[in-house]
Amino acid sequence: MATKSGDTAHLYDGKTVRSSAPSRKKLAGQASATGEIPKDAIPTVEIPTFIESLLGGPLVPKMKFLPADKMVQNLQLGCYGVLIALGILTYIVTPAVGTLWFALTGSMAIANVLQLMVVAGAIGTGFWGTMTRDARFMLASYILFILSVMRFASSKVSLSQDLFGFGDSQFLLTILVVIYAVLLVMYFELSNGVLRFSMLDTSIRTREVYVMNVKKIIGKYHRSLVINPLIAGTLAMIVLSVNTILPAFVSLFSEQMALRMEESVELISVYGVALGTLFVFIVVGGLFALDLPTHLQSWRENKE
Amino acid sequence: MWSRKSAMLGSLAVAMYLLGLTLRNSQLVTIAVVIFVFLTWAALFGGHADVAASGRRAEEWAGEEGVSLSNVSAMRKLSSARIFEDGEVSVTLRMQNHSALGKILEVKDRVPEVMRIKDGANYILMELGPRRETFIEYTVECPLRGFYSLGPVAVRVQDPFGLFHKEKELHVYNDFLVFPKMEDLKDTFVKSRVPKIFTGAVNIRQPGPGSEFYSLREYFEGDSFRAINWSAYARSGKLMVNERERDAVSDIILIVDSRAVSETGPVSRNALVYSTRAAASLAKYFLGRRDSVGLITYGDEVVSVDRDTGKKQLYVILTKLAGAMARGNVPLQVVVNRILPHINKGSPIIVLSNLEDDPTIVTALRDFRARDFDVTVLSPSSLEFEFDAKRLDRTGYEVLKTERDVLISELRGLGVNIMDWEPDMLLSTALAGARGF
Repeated sequence: MATKSGDTAHLYDGKTVRSSAPSRKKLAGQASATGEIPKDAIPTVEIPTFIESLLGGPLVPKMKFLPADKMVQNLQLGCYGVLIALGILTYIVTPAVGTLWFALTGSMAIANVLQLMVVAGAIGTGFWGTMTRDARFMLASYILFILSVMRFASSKVSLSQDLFGFGDSQFLLTILVVIYAVLLVMYFELSNGVLRFSMLDTSIRTREVYVMNVKKIIGKYHRSLVINPLIAGTLAMIVLSVNTILPAFVSLFSEQMALRMEESVELISVYGVALGTLFVFIVVGGLFALDLPTHLQSWRENKE
Repeated sequence: MWSRKSAMLGSLAVAMYLLGLTLRNSQLVTIAVVIFVFLTWAALFGGHADVAASGRRAEEWAGEEGVSLSNVSAMRKLSSARIFEDGEVSVTLRMQNHSALGKILEVKDRVPEVMRIKDGANYILMELGPRRETFIEYTVECPLRGFYSLGPVAVRVQDPFGLFHKEKELHVYNDFLVFPKMEDLKDTFVKSRVPKIFTGAVNIRQPGPGSEFYSLREYFEGDSFRAINWSAYARSGKLMVNERERDAVSDIILIVDSRAVSETGPVSRNALVYSTRAAASLAKYFLGRRDSVGLITYGDEVVSVDRDTGKKQLYVILTKLAGAMARGNVPLQVVVNRILPHINKGSPIIVLSNLEDDPTIVTALRDFRARDFDVTVLSPSSLEFEFDAKRLDRTGYEVLKTERDVLISELRGLGVNIMDWEPDMLLSTALAGARGF
């Protein structure tokens, strides 16, 4: 318990010290041996680092995390699981063919090794970043994952390992790619969640912030962690199945046209996917242009 | 509003989409699609409400229905609007959600930087149900005098992933005043040479017409027979008379230096902090003695409180001291020229200044002394504050200290009661030192 004392200097430990009056500051600067203005005469301004700002910024500007609580540990475990699955899937869906290293070296073996190293590096830095809760390693991991998928693919989804024969079915291939994409986004979110909840937990324990009804808040996050990827995956599946959906729709009017579309190289290639995506872009852009989220929210809030 | 995270994800998705088309890579496009769907879903259904909110001052909180059409409103109540330094204020913040939807709110009640949260928290993360309200209670410790304002209340609503948020400041403000803390003084050794006499006045430790016994002395011709102490005469065989303390009041003038230079040193330890505390303590002491006390603060302008007595005067002085800001550089000579015609000759004048950066100090105090004013100077040493805070090196300190000592000696030579008030010295000790006790 804090004791009452006439001296209040202790209250300012670690806090910003106001700059001294100009005359004294000047004097102090002249009087010191080095001729510099004393550091504590200059107000300190804390600016979030680049990494912090990219990751959404901390709740409390600068702090060291306290040991992880149960919620954070659970998120870390989830993150490790997703990371392993994502690593395996990345390796499967991104063969070395078409990668930058294949183009540079011209050797399949070297490109394979390099691709494997990139994926392993992404997993390793991801593990380390999640374990130490260091955003820099997480960012490195994100970059490596994205780097591993950047390859010239000639519109074809090819697999480096096809133990279960996914390559035989276009639908299964699409599912695999969607799962891979959802896992990547989940990894982004979970690793980010580790940081966010570590910050929150530390803030709670240092009494920087008080949380009322923690269980409800965490419960809502957990629900979102399940629902959002499911919805994202389902909608992505619909978008990516444009080469099936579009001919089916067209077949209502013209069977022949539908057949031609089904056999169209463009529609089953990446451009078909792009076309589906374009629809999504247009719809989403329209929704935002109409400020639908706010209107929807207002409607939901004002309804009795 | 998009957060940095959602902006980053959005940019990444666009980049991947374009790159996917360029490289004819459907994986990249798929990732872009998933990210977009993720963002859209969070934006549409993530509960990032438009916090159309309004706030009202606590005094308007009379139980009536809120004016706000809005969803979230805040009201605040303070336990006290006037406290002394190191005192505490309990704050009750009432948050109401008028909408039909529950919200996860981040609420931060802005507290002045110099204050410390002692109990509770002013930063709350909470789930506020539909048409529900909650009370947030916390206590702040106020270590420094001044006029302060609590507020605004910053409210933020965001989706569970922190992708989109809405922020709003509810302009609910509560002002309060922190008076400088006071030291109990037993004696100040300050008295007027030309006291005013009136019925009911207090004694001033000088012999004269009064009711309290002061001392015994030998009888002189002209003394009243009624004053003869017959017991003393019986003991000593000489005629002795009782002297009584003179009942009177003094006009005391307190001059506080609040120029920019007076704030030299750390926030909690500088000449202005010490001067205001000393002035408050002295005012309390003199007013308790039923003296008439006036206050002058000078910084960027000369602000004066006319001499008066009583508790109300103490409140007026404390309020002025609480609001004294360190700014400007009005020389003491200006103050002297302005007040000289208005103060009674011989009145005690107490100057509280660090004596820095003012070339008129010597002439100003000489003017006071030339008119036979009883001048006491308490000078909190900014050098010591700076040296303690390690902003001055030893050589600089020694040089400046020597200059200061020379100035103090010069002022002492003018007959000014002056004390170099070091940081750890009590006010009573400094006063006694100044008065040569």
